[in-house]
Amino acid sequence: MATMSCVLEGNRVKVAPYCVAAFGKAIHALSRIGEELWLDPMVKGLALRSVNSAHSAYTCFLFSPMFFQHYSLGSGSEQGSATIKCKLLMKSVLPLFRGLNSIERNVERSQISISTPSDRVTIQFFCRHGITKTHNLHFQESEALQAEFASHLCPNVLKAPARLLGDMVMHFPVFQEEITLSMMPLSVSFRNYCEAGNDHMKMMYTEMSLHPDEFDYFQVGVDSDITFCLKELRGFLSFAESHSLPVSVHFGATGNPVRFYIKDMVLEATVVLATLMDSEKRGPSQPIGPPHPSSPRCADAAALPAVSYEADGSKPQDIPAVTELITSSQGSPIINPPALMQLLSPVDDPDRLSVSDEACPSATTTPASTMICSLLFRALSSEQDDDGCAARLPVLACHSDAEEDMEEDYRRSPSL
Amino acid sequence: MPLSTQSQADDEQYVLVASLDNARNLSNILKAITFKDHAIFNATPNGLKVTVEDSKCLQANAFIQAEIFQEFTIKEDLVGFQVNLTVLLDCLNIFGGSSVPGVSTALRMCYGGYGFPLTLFLEEGGVVTVCKINTQEPDEPIDFEFCSTNVTNKVILQSESLKEPFSELDMTSEVLQITMSPSQPYFRLSTFGNSGNAHYDYPKDSDMMELFQCTKTQTNRYKMSLLKPSTKALALSCKVSVRTDSRGFLSLQYLVRNDDGQICFVEYYCCPDEEVE
Repeated sequence: MATMSCVLEGNRVKVAPYCVAAFGKAIHALSRIGEELWLDPMVKGLALRSVNSAHSAYTCFLFSPMFFQHYSLGSGSEQGSATIKCKLLMKSVLPLFRGLNSIERNVERSQISISTPSDRVTIQFFCRHGITKTHNLHFQESEALQAEFASHLCPNVLKAPARLLGDMVMHFPVFQEEITLSMMPLSVSFRNYCEAGNDHMKMMYTEMSLHPDEFDYFQVGVDSDITFCLKELRGFLSFAESHSLPVSVHFGATGNPVRFYIKDMVLEATVVLATLMDSEKRGPSQPIGPPHPSSPRCADAAALPAVSYEADGSKPQDIPAVTELITSSQGSPIINPPALMQLLSPVDDPDRLSVSDEACPSATTTPASTMICSLLFRALSSEQDDDGCAARLPVLACHSDAEEDMEEDYRRSPSL
Repeated sequence: MPLSTQSQADDEQYVLVASLDNARNLSNILKAITFKDHAIFNATPNGLKVTVEDSKCLQANAFIQAEIFQEFTIKEDLVGFQVNLTVLLDCLNIFGGSSVPGVSTALRMCYGGYGFPLTLFLEEGGVVTVCKINTQEPDEPIDFEFCSTNVTNKVILQSESLKEPFSELDMTSEVLQITMSPSQPYFRLSTFGNSGNAHYDYPKDSDMMELFQCTKTQTNRYKMSLLKPSTKALALSCKVSVRTDSRGFLSLQYLVRNDDGQICFVEYYCCPDEEVE
């Protein structure tokens, strides 16, 4: 097994993965989501993120410094300031980690460095027989992805070994785009999602039910059916299974996003998926909601307005602000055009959403170092804004320079 | 075996008769040089040499010694012809090319001389097929004038260590750059693609390095499109020698063991794309 070390010196991040294959597997999972990979070296660790083009799926893998044999950040940089945020094309990075078996056999050590002066990410593999492979990839400086998801506001929580979820998901064919997870007080079921209009005679319907006892943790706050894109989840589940980690699932009522989360001593990973607004279908004869002829159904969620939802009496201001806020050191503004509501965490009062416009300016000026920045702890920094404005900020994953494009994205029908 | 019942009299007409109990011993090695349709065959009493060329910058040769064949009869000092290599390979694999142990296609290859087609008698499981492939007058293979005395740098590597890098070479790079030097990085393959560059370094003391004789630091670039086909030869081989001469011309020689463990050679010659000091 390769040993990992992460060294940072100067303005560079150097990482030699503890287990190169595990790192590679994370890249595989990230590649299932989006075409770009954000690398964000922080004091808390190295975050790898991706988001799909429809902005309906977001994923983040955070490797803590303990994952690496050596991990260091640029010298002379205070927390959060002047750190590098870089964006790579997935198709540049994935081929380096494609052959996981070969990596396990041949790679003894790996080193990753990010150097801002030369705009390069250097990934080196020190292999058997003294052979060294060095890859220098161009990166783009970029705002980091931001995502918020108030897991603790979710009424429904499941926790199960990855194996259990993997076994469920295994029964759906590879081409199955979406599945529906239904939560009721006495059972959880998974079934494939079928669009009305498909020839029902040709479809195979699969449904599996699980008793609450099957789960390590089962909390049902509200009966709900959530329909989300399975393809985007598979890579994550595969990673979780390979690490034998339990998966936590947080979600709410139909239409609200769902979060899958794993964590161990040295890493944590999250996938947030948008869910369809109208996944109350239980069988083939049910009519579908608003027709979106050619767009992928999950992306349809993006086009639908936010739904206010009654949490179980909990009000945002009583609860500390958002659980996780991965911010850029530049403190880029958080965008909330109405069309992006699909990733909104459940909020009590839709009116509060308008407050976020005012909240945004303060968000931009808040230095990154005072904001929560780690998935690892899922805790909130006490330095969070007192008015809890972050809780009212729409949950989404976006990069600020694409705000105009986002409006466009949701007018037309994006294709996955 | 039906082929052996051919009367001796028939053989009188052929200037070249070569037989193999297992046609794969020929077809496999020919696949390693099939990047162009046409091949020049040159047979001498020593054996068979098959040459394929590309844009006057690349030449690949496959050598199958006379000893590899169960029968190798040649009536002249040199017999040469040109055939469509793709068609020849299709014929050699006419029985489907399955690799069930114990089952192989037997081959009897006959050539009557100038103006005659290349006749193949192929047999498997009692079924005989006769193929006649038109021949052309052979072109003169390019002489790259690559001689040992001009060789500046030479390494011999176990193919195992090169197979993976070669198969994962960044194809968006137009060139493959080879650096050979008596000092660091010793032996380096580099690509320059759309997303960035990549370097594969082999130290001189690597246990994959069987021979390391580099006299001066040389860096040469070769067109990726020309060298990529050599991956097939690499895949078949167990060892490869890489040599460059003072002009930067590249010679790759592959040691290939066939199904019966016998040794054949494949070599590639390539002109440099541009001189890089």
